[in-house]
Order: sequence, then structure tokens, then C-alpha cells
Amino acid sequence: MDERIVMVDSGTGLKLTEEQLDERSAVATVQLRRRGVRSGDTVLICLRVGPDLLVSTNAVIAAGGVVWPLPPDLDTATLRDRIHESGARVMISDVRQALDAAEESRVRIVMSVADLNGSCPSWAPPT
Amino acid sequence: MTVPAPHNLPVEPNRFIGRERDVSELGALVRAERVITLSGVGGIGKTRLSLRVAAQARPWFADGVWLVELARVGDPALVVNEVAGVLGVRDELPGRLLDGLRLRLRDASTLILLDNCEHLVERCAELVAQLIAECPRLRFLLTSREPLRIQGELVWRVPPLELPDERHPDAESVLLFVERALAAGARAVTEHMPDVVRLCRALDGLPLALELAAARTGLLSPGRIADRIGDRFALLTTGHRTAPARQRTLLATVEWSHDLLTPKERVLLRRLSVFAGVFDLGLAERVCADGGILRRAELLDLLAGLVDKSLVLHQGGAGRYRLLETIRQYAADRLEEVGEVARLRDRHLRVVCEEMERCYEGGSLEPRMPWPARLAHFIRGRTLLDDCRAAIDWAVASRDAVTGLRLARAALAILAVRGDLGESVGWHERLLALDLAKVPDDVVAVAAAALAYGLELADELERAEELIVQGVEEQKRHPYTHWLGISYGVALTVFFRTGRTERALRYMEELEAAASAHDDPFNLATARIARLNLALFQGRLRQARRHGEEALALGRQAGHHWTQARALTHLGAVAEAAGDLETALSCHADALPLLEGMDNRVELARCHAQLGRVAAGLGDRAAARKHVAAGLELSRKAGQRRGVMRALSALSALAQAQGDLEGRCWPGPPPPRCASRSGRSARRGGCGSC
Ligand SMILES: Nc1ncnc2c1ncn2[C@@H]1O[C@H](COP(=O)(O)OP(=O)(O)OP(=O)(O)O)[C@@H](O)[C@H]1O
Ligand SMILES: [Mg+2]
Repeated sequence: MDERIVMVDSGTGLKLTEEQLDERSAVATVQLRRRGVRSGDTVLICLRVGPDLLVSTNAVIAAGGVVWPLPPDLDTATLRDRIHESGARVMISDVRQALDAAEESRVRIVMSVADLNGSCPSWAPPT
Repeated sequence: MTVPAPHNLPVEPNRFIGRERDVSELGALVRAERVITLSGVGGIGKTRLSLRVAAQARPWFADGVWLVELARVGDPALVVNEVAGVLGVRDELPGRLLDGLRLRLRDASTLILLDNCEHLVERCAELVAQLIAECPRLRFLLTSREPLRIQGELVWRVPPLELPDERHPDAESVLLFVERALAAGARAVTEHMPDVVRLCRALDGLPLALELAAARTGLLSPGRIADRIGDRFALLTTGHRTAPARQRTLLATVEWSHDLLTPKERVLLRRLSVFAGVFDLGLAERVCADGGILRRAELLDLLAGLVDKSLVLHQGGAGRYRLLETIRQYAADRLEEVGEVARLRDRHLRVVCEEMERCYEGGSLEPRMPWPARLAHFIRGRTLLDDCRAAIDWAVASRDAVTGLRLARAALAILAVRGDLGESVGWHERLLALDLAKVPDDVVAVAAAALAYGLELADELERAEELIVQGVEEQKRHPYTHWLGISYGVALTVFFRTGRTERALRYMEELEAAASAHDDPFNLATARIARLNLALFQGRLRQARRHGEEALALGRQAGHHWTQARALTHLGAVAEAAGDLETALSCHADALPLLEGMDNRVELARCHAQLGRVAAGLGDRAAARKHVAAGLELSRKAGQRRGVMRALSALSALAQAQGDLEGRCWPGPPPPRCASRSGRSARRGGCGSC
């Protein structure tokens, strides 16, 4: 059961097992909540198709959010319009154009894949 | 928590509008993250939002929430000074402030709000990263048009206020605009709601733009304003075409508002950009009025006009004013454009110098004067320090060594009373490096002595000696001044410390003769305290006490609390040496409130340590513990390693007295590495600082 493959990255050939998917999604859900995502919130996701996109989508849904996907190959003006329409507070992306397009939007926090994996330093709360 | 945590957040100038969810989310993030940067264009509301968040976070930070305003700090090297200043960390050794900050923050649960970091991003990044790594319970909230880009930084992009749409006609931007318009006396705005909506959209929901527009609704309808700003937008010079849309919107609005000013208001606004922060009417009159375009008598009205137009803020109502950063930059650009920078900054330097000299003279030169009158001058001088820094920068840049040196020495006198003159070392070094050919010899001589004063405190005795000899010998060729008295005090301290008692004695005798001949009780007391030290050192306790009593009497006659406090603490040391602990206790106890009133934390901490030691000797453990803990706390807060050392030695006396080597009042982990130079004699000849 734990070895069940649920996705293969066509670019790198890397395989994602069901267990990895569950684990990464759970971590990402916690990270989203820490950044303030609540149920009913729209979250923009602009990532290339692959495991990260799957994990992010799962995590947004698990956090109670609404996924608003953005294809990374859109031009900046279209990206900007879509970001604006979404009214989202949080965006998940590592894509340069998407980061630029979010510049004058109402997005408060941009999370990278590394942020979602919790691999940025997380600090102990004050005592 | 029983005691409310300390803070220095200002009261809000008017109602905070909207952003409820942002405030509550940031409130949680400030507790979960260590560094949060609120980013966004000028005027979008970063500072205002950060102050809200910081105020609400107060219950979570037992050691306080501290606002450090960096907008006016030009030199990256001074970021540390600014933070230290706010946290009350005193410059124990010039150049060692960062050390002091570490000591202060190492175990403190503190939130520091660094406001307007954009022009100092690199230095801020370095400092924040360093302090975060070393101080586990410290957190930062920053506002900056640019993120710091350091590891672990959460960049939080501040959006404009919400714009109205069909479903939300009363969006945040509309609320802000209407509220400010009503405050400006425009009763009819609510009758033009479609125009208000159009205007809020045109202004992109930018709070500062909304404020500037609302301030004009007394004269123009919202529809007219929207049209005019639209025109301005089209007129923006090409250089700005590439700027982000929000920035262009803001600039267009600022330009529009500026264009509507009367010519005189425009002149005043651009001239006000030379102030380093808060200023009052008197200073504005002296710096900005020129008897030609702007007359003094009209300044109050002009200033009030700028306040009405939201271009100048009336700070706290007490006749104090300031400019928002975006406006100050715009005004500074206009000043530059008309080629008035040098003239205005010259005038700013001159006025600040005169005002600081007035404070110094008022506080120090009158031989006899009640203390409250003196203190008022010292306190006034402290409020000028931001302008003093900017003025000294200009003196260096414009090579005006004379005025710069006069300002630096007057400011030194103000700093010394409070026990932290470290910053003045840098001032004097920079100014003395200028071409001094046209500077009068006596001014250079005082400057050399002033630099020696700071260096002596930093234990740089070799350099101090060379400078002080030069400073004293040159001043002796001129009529006696209070500065010569102070210079003698530094000289005899340097020579006592380097073991050359002969030369020290010679300076002491010269000082006594000069200070008595010129009715200078402050410096005469310094000589008496030096005699006390010498007698104490030689074991002649009766003479030591007599000298101390003379110094105390001089301090009382003069009404100078600093002199009295110095005399009392030295008398306490003499009594302690004589085994008369009761008297020692009462001497130190009398000095305590005097030092408190001067806000001289360095000497206050030392006084507590002495009280603790004496109380321990008397077997009064409760009092001893109380004082040692108070001294330790003060030293830690002021970032004084030597103070911590002193408290620790008092602690060990206490522990011995009660046979309890655990030292139960030690409130935290063991002390940090201490400066190895702390081994110098605790009792030094009196240049005033001991
Ligand atoms: N939510 C708000 N409610 C009421 N007033 C606001 C609000 N946000 C901003 N303002 C006002 O708008 C003006 C600009 O805001 P602020 O000074 O916070 O901008 P800023 O982003 O810090 O600009 P800068 O980058 O120039 O420092 C101020 O007068 C402020 O009081
Ligand atoms: Mg600001």
C-alpha cells in the first residue's frame, strides 16, 4: 500500500507515492493555516504541472480553501487580470512572471514550494 | 502579567479605518514568525498598519514593544544608535553599542518595529539577522518599500484600502475619504457619492492620496478633484512613466495638492524638509523665515494651512509638527530643484547650534540656579539631538568646521549629564578631520579636549593624553571658560589613571585656582572630588571626607544635582572605607533620586550596586537584594557590561553575607563575556563622570 505510486513527473521522472503525497499535503496544509488561510478563502496556485501542484491543490482543499489555478505560461497582463479577479490574499508560486504580476495586487503573502514544505526556518513561539 | 509591558508607540492621530482581518492575522503572525516585513509603495499605509499590529501585540511581549523610526537616519552606521537610543541602551564604550544591544536583548521577549527601512535595507538586513540569531525571544516587524531578503523573513504585501463596487459602496477607501472630508468641514460630500466612488477608484485606494484629496473638499467637489487629478496624472513627467501605477497615482496626487498651495506655503513646505523629525514653531520660524519671502509673523498661519491640507502633521497637539516621509521626500526634491538646499541646511545648522548652545549655557554656566531650571535646559537639549545629528552631517559635508564643533561641544554637555557621550566621539573625529585653518585656536582646543573626554571613557588613554594636553595648554592661553575647567578634569583623570600623580596634581592645583578665581562651582567640585580620591587612595580618610563635604556644599549652592550626586557617591565610598556603613548607606541613598531625575542610567546602576553592597554589609539582605537586582536590571537594559560586572561583584558580597553562593536574585542565565578592560580602578579622579 505505502509503495503505491500516484504521480510521475514527466519532466524529471520522479515518482510520488501515496504516502509522500499525504505527508507533504498535511505539512502544506499546516503552513497555509499558519499564514492565515481559512475556510472559504481563495488561494492562487501558479505552478507547473507536477507533484508540487498536486500537493498544493490538496493542501488548499484540506485547509478549506478554494483553489484558483493560474497556468504559468499566461502573459503578464492576463496573469495580472486573473490575480486581480481572484481577490486572493495568498498565492502559491515560484514562477517569476506570476510574482511580478502579483506586484500591485491584493495578494498579501506569496508562498514558495519551499514555504509549503515547511523547509524555511520555523521559529519557536515566545514563552 | 501584572505590570503592563513598556512601549513607545504614539497615540493614533485619527481613527484607523478597515483592515480588520489583516490586523488580526498579522497579530497571530507576529507571534509565530520572527521577522515580518510589511512592504508596499509610499503612502499605502504600512506604518499605520504596523503601529496597529504592534499595539495589539503588546500583551505578548513582556519586555516591550518598541518603535524605531529610521526614515530620517541617513547613515547606515547609525541604525544601531537609533535602536539603542529607543531601547535605552547607553554607549558604554564608543563603538560598542551593538554589544550593549545584544546584552539588552539576549533574554528579552521584545518586539522591535523598524519603520521605513527602504533606504537602509542592507544594514537593516545585517542587523536584524544578527540579533535574531543571538536573541531567541526577539521579534521584528518592519515596514519597508523594499523587502530585506534575509532568511526567515515573511514578506507581507500591504494592499491599498478596498475599493467600492456595486455591492460594497461603503468600502474602506470610501470610509476614509468621507471621514476626512467631514473633518475638513465638507458637509456636502455624501451627496455626491458616485463622484466619491469615482475618486476613490482614481486614487487606487491609497490612504495618503485619499487624505490629500479629502483635505481639499472644503473648496472643491469630489468630482472636480477626480478630474483635476486625472489631468495631473497625464502630465506626470516622463521620468515617472515607468514607475509602478500606485506610485504614479500617489505622485500625481501629491503634485496636485502641492500645486494648489499658495506660493508662500510652497516655500515653507520645501524648507521644512530640512528638519530631522519633529520640530516646533520656534525652530520653524528661525530656520524657514527669511524676512523676505517668508516673514516670521506669518509662519504660524502658513503652518496651520499646511496642516489643514494634510501636508504637515500636528504631532500630539503640543505645538509640535512633522512631515510624513513621502511628503518630506517630495518637499526635499522641490528644495533641491530651486537650489535652496545649501542655504537652508546652513541655516538649520546655525539655528540648531545656537539653540543647543542656549541649552548648554542655560543648564551649565549659571554658577547658582535651582535644579528644575537647569534640568529644563538639559531636557530641551535632548529633544534637539536628531536635528543635531543631521546638522553635524551637514557641517562635515559643507566643511563648516567652526559651527560643527560649536554644536558638537554643546551637545556633548547635554549628553554627559545623561551618562552617554559615546556618540560625540564620532562627531569630533569627523569634524577635526576637516581643514581647521580658519577655526579659532580655542575652539579647536576645546574640541580636542571634548574628544579626549570620550576617549578616556573608552579607555583609549594614549590618544586621550595627547589630545588633552594639547587641549588644556592651548585653552590656558585664552580667558578661562567652563570648558577649560572640564578639560582640566579630564586631564587629571587621565594622569591619575596612567599613574602619573605628579602631573595630575599639577593640573588639579591649576584647576582649583582657576575655578575659584572664576566662580565655577561645578569644576571646583571636580577638583575637590579629585582630592577626595587621592586622600582615599592614600588612606587619609578624614581629609577625604572633608573634600567630599566641600564638593557637596558646592553642588548644593550651585543647585547642580549632578555635582551633588557625584559628591555623595564618593562620600559613600569614603564612609565605607572607614567602616561606617550607616553613613555610606545614607550617602548613596541620597544620590539615588538625584540620578534618577537626571535619567543618568549608567551612574544610577552604579549607585544601586554600591547600595546593595553596603546594605549587604549591614546585614539587610532584603534591601541588598533589591538594590543589586535593580542595578543589574538597569545595566542589562542599558546594555552596560561593566555595570553588570559591578552588580555581580555586589552580588557576591551579598552571597557571602548570607552564606548563599547561589545568589538568589540573579534573574537569568549567567552573565555574558565581559569586556576585558573592565579591570580599571573603580574610583577615578573626577572629570564629572565618576
Ligand atoms: N487604515 C488607515 N486608517 C486611517 N488612516 C490611514 C490608514 N492607513 C493609512 N492611513 C493614513 O495614510 C497616511 C499614509 O500612511 P502611512 O504613513 O502608514 O504610509 P506608509 O506606507 O508608511 O508610507 P511611507 O512609505 O511613505 O512611509 C498617513 O497619514 C496615515 O495615517
Ligand atoms: Mg511609513
